[in-house]
Amino acid sequence: MKKALPFLLLLGLLLLAYFLVPKGGHSFYGTRLLNPKPVDFTLQGPKGPVRLAEVREEVVLLFFGFVHCPDVCPTTLLALKRAYEALPPKAQERVRVIFVSVDPDRDTPEIADQYAKNFHPSFLGLSGSPEAIQEVARTFGVYYQKAQYRGPKEYLVDHTATTFVVQKGKLVLLFSPDKVEATEKVVADLQALL
Amino acid sequence: MRVLLLLLLGSLAWGKPVATPGWVRLVPPVLKDTAAYLTLENRGTTPLRLVGAETEVAQRVSFHRDHREHRHGQEVLGMRPLPHVDIPPGGKVVFRPGGYHLMLEGLKRPLKAGEKVAITLRFQDGTRLKVLLPVEMR
Repeated sequence: MKKALPFLLLLGLLLLAYFLVPKGGHSFYGTRLLNPKPVDFTLQGPKGPVRLAEVREEVVLLFFGFVHCPDVCPTTLLALKRAYEALPPKAQERVRVIFVSVDPDRDTPEIADQYAKNFHPSFLGLSGSPEAIQEVARTFGVYYQKAQYRGPKEYLVDHTATTFVVQKGKLVLLFSPDKVEATEKVVADLQALL
Repeated sequence: MRVLLLLLLGSLAWGKPVATPGWVRLVPPVLKDTAAYLTLENRGTTPLRLVGAETEVAQRVSFHRDHREHRHGQEVLGMRPLPHVDIPPGGKVVFRPGGYHLMLEGLKRPLKAGEKVAITLRFQDGTRLKVLLPVEMR
């Protein structure tokens, strides 16, 4: 009986631990798509065409914006930088942040990429022909519209500010511009996907 | 004595702007526009109207407010220029991401992290207020 006591204690502790550890799947903070939507596109990067399906990383975070956007776009891109940097290095290798310009008239692929890389050197910036951008925007349900037009180089762009999470070619998760700023919760969602 | 008191009261009846510095956003050199943030308080007894601003580092300074609308169930963001910004007596206006911002348009040179940018704010009553804002990446 004396010999059995430590084992009983251990068993008791294990049982206690079993009941204390939360069970079940991760509860997502972002908006999870019940029917993940297959998505793909080819746009222009600084070194030529980039096809979404050929991006090496399995989780891609997409944000649509424009370079001449000093307030809204940097706020989200800085939030994505914080989330990316909070991931362990192993997870970072499997995540890619891509900025897609919805202002192809002003943002060349080089400018879009320089802009993205200013936030994090691993980020990628893409642009393309107005038709190609329109097509990608339609795929993701992104709205964009020139506003306060003063001339061919002087205008603002209203645009959907959602961050889209694509995993293995399928759109699986969305973060609103407010939600994306909760770094810890975004990181937990990404780690649950990986 | 009475004259002095009247003068004192007269001076109290002005709008009195007080600025709490914020920051100027560090942007990549490809960008010619950036945003500046600060808090403006009116410690006076009459309304203050911010009508303009100047800085040596940019061609123009304008005021903007973020514009939000929902389309297809998602949030669409943009910004709209404001001709002026009103600060009621005893009130304040916070310029911060997602709300109001000063837009420094046409940067004459790339800004460096840590440098201080001087911006002169002009109010309708002729008051001028100079603020120094650090350039930060945040």
